Amino acid sequence: MYRIVRNNIIELTGIMIIVLALLLLSFSTSFKLSFDLPPSLLNLNTIFLSILIEALPFVLIGVLIAGVIQIFVTEEHIQRWIPKNKVLAIIMSCIIGALFPACECGIVPIVRRLVGKGVPIHAAIGFMLTGPLINPIVIASTYMAFGNDFKIAGLRMGLGFFVALMVALVVSIIFKGTQLKTPIHTRSSHTLSKKESLSTRFWSMLTHSIDEFFDMGKYLVIGAFLAAFVQTYLPAKTLLEAGSGPISSLSLMMGLAYVLSLCSEADAFIGASFSNIFPTSAILGFLIFGPMMDLKNTLMMLSVFRVKFVFGVLALIISIIFMTIMLAQSFI
Amino acid sequence: MRFHFQQAVRAFILLAFSVLLFKLHFTGEMTKFINPKYEGLSQSASVLFLILFIIQTTRVWTVKENSQHHHCHHDAHDHNCSHDHGDSPFSTKKLIAYLVIVFPLITGFLLPSKVLDASIADKKGGLAVLSNQRSEKKEEEAVPNNNQQEDPVINEDLVDLSRIEDNVYTNEEYEQLIQQLEQSSTIEMNDHVFSTYYEEMHMDLDKFKGREIHLKGFVYKEDGLEKNQLVLARFLITHCVADAGIVGFISELPGASSIEVNTWIEAKGVLDTTNYNGTKFPIIKITNWKVIDEPKEPYLYPISVKVL
Repeated sequence: MYRIVRNNIIELTGIMIIVLALLLLSFSTSFKLSFDLPPSLLNLNTIFLSILIEALPFVLIGVLIAGVIQIFVTEEHIQRWIPKNKVLAIIMSCIIGALFPACECGIVPIVRRLVGKGVPIHAAIGFMLTGPLINPIVIASTYMAFGNDFKIAGLRMGLGFFVALMVALVVSIIFKGTQLKTPIHTRSSHTLSKKESLSTRFWSMLTHSIDEFFDMGKYLVIGAFLAAFVQTYLPAKTLLEAGSGPISSLSLMMGLAYVLSLCSEADAFIGASFSNIFPTSAILGFLIFGPMMDLKNTLMMLSVFRVKFVFGVLALIISIIFMTIMLAQSFI
Repeated sequence: MRFHFQQAVRAFILLAFSVLLFKLHFTGEMTKFINPKYEGLSQSASVLFLILFIIQTTRVWTVKENSQHHHCHHDAHDHNCSHDHGDSPFSTKKLIAYLVIVFPLITGFLLPSKVLDASIADKKGGLAVLSNQRSEKKEEEAVPNNNQQEDPVINEDLVDLSRIEDNVYTNEEYEQLIQQLEQSSTIEMNDHVFSTYYEEMHMDLDKFKGREIHLKGFVYKEDGLEKNQLVLARFLITHCVADAGIVGFISELPGASSIEVNTWIEAKGVLDTTNYNGTKFPIIKITNWKVIDEPKEPYLYPISVKVL
């Protein structure tokens, strides 16, 4: 008897956990709150969960890609692929980011793995900024949201790419090293795994993804909650009345993009709904800043990078977008 | 054999996420959170969580001897992957981290989902963002006029809206949809076409003046509206309810002040225009209305046109 238990312990544990989860499920379907929660709390909860549900698939894809990078990409690969020249490396990373259809929720674990594998920090930032901003889905949704007009979509991509380049350049000047919270030993660590079979490596890729998910998960949850909180309780309406001039309206829309933490694929319609209140430049600020960095994203980055670095990059992004749009304003 | 409590907790959390997503799909509640177009994505997330759960269960028990080698070979070496493998001792900090991750599971399982209401519409900017009227007219306006001569023929096989799944239209179908709008004397704002027609009507308000309109919506009120006015509004969900935008019409009916906010109404009326805070708005002079239950699908989803 003991041997049977011992041999099948994993299956047994699995079954136990499944039973436990099913119990929870049946409990939850029959569960009725004995008291009434205020509707605003339920609104908050619904928005919070919807942000999570929307983000989870992308986070999972992100951690899986991060797992693949961790196990299958070696430091030597990276050294061969990334140009030694800083500017070239930045341009390359921005272009790869633009081709890579990422979402801002999933990109942080990928960037962390890349940096851990020896990708220079400026290249990683370039990739992180263009990844969610420039991709086919975002272009299509922006095009549609602004009345099938390519002007805004084009400006969003063009200016966004320029901003990403600039931020990455400045990062390469200011910041050195990996800027990771916990330093990663860069010495070749996969001498072992090279000897291992593909299936073992695949397995450890998956377990890595799980650990990564639990690392990121808590920040994702907190970020989603804060964003939902802002949406339920912060009256955008009174804010809207505050912004009138080009500078204040731009700051306002950028602030809104930051706290709302919308997915880059979905923010175009929201941006469009403001287009009769604010000038195009403010809308562009909203559309460019949102995918690059938002509340949810900042929290996830804080789990990976040093606090100083995260806020440094945030300040850089804000100021460069601000200046770019102010300069471009006269041409729009 | 050694039992790893934390790994077991992690396995349970992964499974619980999978079950939560599955439950929301199964009960159909998912449409209250995300655009059904993206249901496939969260379904695959549910499956992925299940797979990760299965993998995670193998880590709950380790054989004492070569445990570290077998399950996470990194631990035997320099710790190079900088993240927590769930093997380190349990601390308060970790407890908080797990509580945070479990939090959405608890609220997801125990709290009912809620359809967004007028208070959110207010927070989202209310009437100010309602009129996304565009000053520039579209250049392609001339195109439908050419087609109008072939009306009778096209009318026969006009787009069958129920056939269209996931709100994806081909260019041709989209054109027909717009054409339908331009020809009909009574504009039927059903859920499929609401946002498209809404946008199209805002491009040229005067064109639709005097037409009859038939629509459903919830009542939203705002300071500044006349006593006999209210807004019949809907939420437009692009991806998830967090990005909900409001669409709606100012409506005029005698008993407006007695109708409570958030009541769902089905109404018929005549389109006109009005000025509100200096902006031109369409207004519906309601002729006929009744209170209805909240529809099964309270949200609108934008249609997408296949570009290719």
